[in-house]
Amino acid sequence: MASIASTDVASASETAPVTGSDRMSRTTIVMLAVVAMVLAIVPYAINERFGYHIAIIVCFAAIGACSLHLIIRTGHVSLCHSAFVGVGAYVSAYVAVTLGFPFLGGLVAGTLASALLALLIGPIILRLTGKYFVLITFLLGEILRMVFMDWQSVTGGANGFNDIPAPAPVFANPKWFYLLALGAAAFCIAVCGRILSSEIGRFVNAIRESETLAECVGVPVIRTKILIFVIACAFAGFAGSLMAHYARYISPPNFGPIESLNLVIMNVIGGMNTLIGPLIGAFFLVLVPELLRDYVQLQHVIFGIVLIVVMAFMPGGMASLKDVYALMTRRSGRKS
Amino acid sequence: MLTSPIVLGQIVVNGLSLSSIYILVALGFTLLFGIMRVVNFAHGEFAMLGGFSLYYLYAVFKLPWLLAIVLVPFMVALPALLLEWLVFRWFYQKMFQSMIGLLGLNMAMIYTALIAWDAFERNIPAAFDGIVRFGGIIAPIDRLVTIGISLLALAGFYLLMVHTRWGLAMRAAAQDVDIAATQGIDTRRIYKLAFVVAIGLAALAGALYGQIYSVSPFMGERPLFVAFVVVILGGMGSIPGAALGGVLLGFTESLLGTLYGGSVAAYASFGIVILLLIFRPWGLLGKPE
Repeated sequence: MASIASTDVASASETAPVTGSDRMSRTTIVMLAVVAMVLAIVPYAINERFGYHIAIIVCFAAIGACSLHLIIRTGHVSLCHSAFVGVGAYVSAYVAVTLGFPFLGGLVAGTLASALLALLIGPIILRLTGKYFVLITFLLGEILRMVFMDWQSVTGGANGFNDIPAPAPVFANPKWFYLLALGAAAFCIAVCGRILSSEIGRFVNAIRESETLAECVGVPVIRTKILIFVIACAFAGFAGSLMAHYARYISPPNFGPIESLNLVIMNVIGGMNTLIGPLIGAFFLVLVPELLRDYVQLQHVIFGIVLIVVMAFMPGGMASLKDVYALMTRRSGRKS
Repeated sequence: MLTSPIVLGQIVVNGLSLSSIYILVALGFTLLFGIMRVVNFAHGEFAMLGGFSLYYLYAVFKLPWLLAIVLVPFMVALPALLLEWLVFRWFYQKMFQSMIGLLGLNMAMIYTALIAWDAFERNIPAAFDGIVRFGGIIAPIDRLVTIGISLLALAGFYLLMVHTRWGLAMRAAAQDVDIAATQGIDTRRIYKLAFVVAIGLAALAGALYGQIYSVSPFMGERPLFVAFVVVILGGMGSIPGAALGGVLLGFTESLLGTLYGGSVAAYASFGIVILLLIFRPWGLLGKPE
């Protein structure tokens, strides 16, 4: 069954050559730098409070989607990623508010708590491949959400966690918080990109293509998977901590299955084979709902349908539009 | 507390009725996986549609309950063939894509239901009042009817799978689709048949479940959770495994739910899954990969 799972992913990645990731990394970095600079300027050009807010949300989404991308690259789709965001958020809020530590303490504690949970649960669930991994992470996400709901003395239950302080008085203004969020997102994306283009990144690609084969040529399969899972969940916790201190209020629905699914959608819509994919997806999934603000329920329906269409006909996502276009022009060229 | 026959009887009757509903949900889920290699993340939503069908047929249009419950599977499964044509057929034999794509279907169905029916919960009035006493055990009649209906459906499923040519064809397709096709089995038709059977079972389970609790667009979450736990317990694609997993989960929930409350039962069932994954990751009756 393991082989079925990996060949499925392999067929999905046919359009994007895996060997190209190293060569592409330099252009990728340049492109990302340009994008980051544009991003840093645009909200200031618009200079509207709402613009900063959207930009900050894009940054959080980008951290979440890119860290999930690391896990997806190993051929495992996790449906509990936003639950790990929640762990980071709640631990950070608890440490900062209830225990009275400064923001940095909360940030470190939130990140570490999320990583620690991943380290505990990872060795158990990462032995599963493909379908079972998806199912178990879905269950784990539900269970963590129930914990957020039921552990009222720590999390505040359904009422949520109130009055979380801003990281520093100056960051209470979204204008300045945006710089913090952008810096955090750039840092996370850079680390993810560096990991994927390193030796470990090649291990990851090998594991996705065939776990058995990777094992045979000496790739430490389970250790690499756990390492990637822990790093990704640490970033999720990091993003959660920042979110808690930005929104100043968190409650269980912020970290439910729909949010986890949104992170997966970002990866799928954008494309699961390059790091650019989740970034495109994050933009798309934050900006489009803003355009459809009056139709919250309808937009979920639309995203659901988009997900079906993309998975059925374009498993490479938007990042593979180029290839689809090339294919179409080549076909029409042959005809004429 | 366990020595009291009333509590014990309640646990047994609840356990049986929960188990039978869980088996109905999980059977369809595992059937779709076994034959088409499709992980149906939208399974809970078909159960939700079943719940709404019973609500409309019985509570709104006032049909006799037995007629309503028999109509429910057909009312959901036959129109669902349109979804099979639009969505599912693209994902046959593509496990990975099916999971993500059907998650999308799941979300689209929940929110379409939300637009159509709003979020509030509807109650289906009880069809049967009264209780039956066996010795010291007291059993409400509607729970017994739930168990009876599920057992009938399970028996029908068993007959279909074991004693008909269609069942034989489905089992052959589950083992190897290509070889089944070379033996002259029309796999397209078998897929459709398996789809109708699986969705019908889910709809029936949803109707019975909605009768016990309530009907709302979000009611599909719980059956989906249950289907996952059951198939992980029993082994995915294994039909006896679904039955065993359903019984285990139903009784665990009934016991812990009666003694300690609903959320403890949910934590415990997750704990059991984790323990199983440590010691037998391929499920109780599945085969090691």
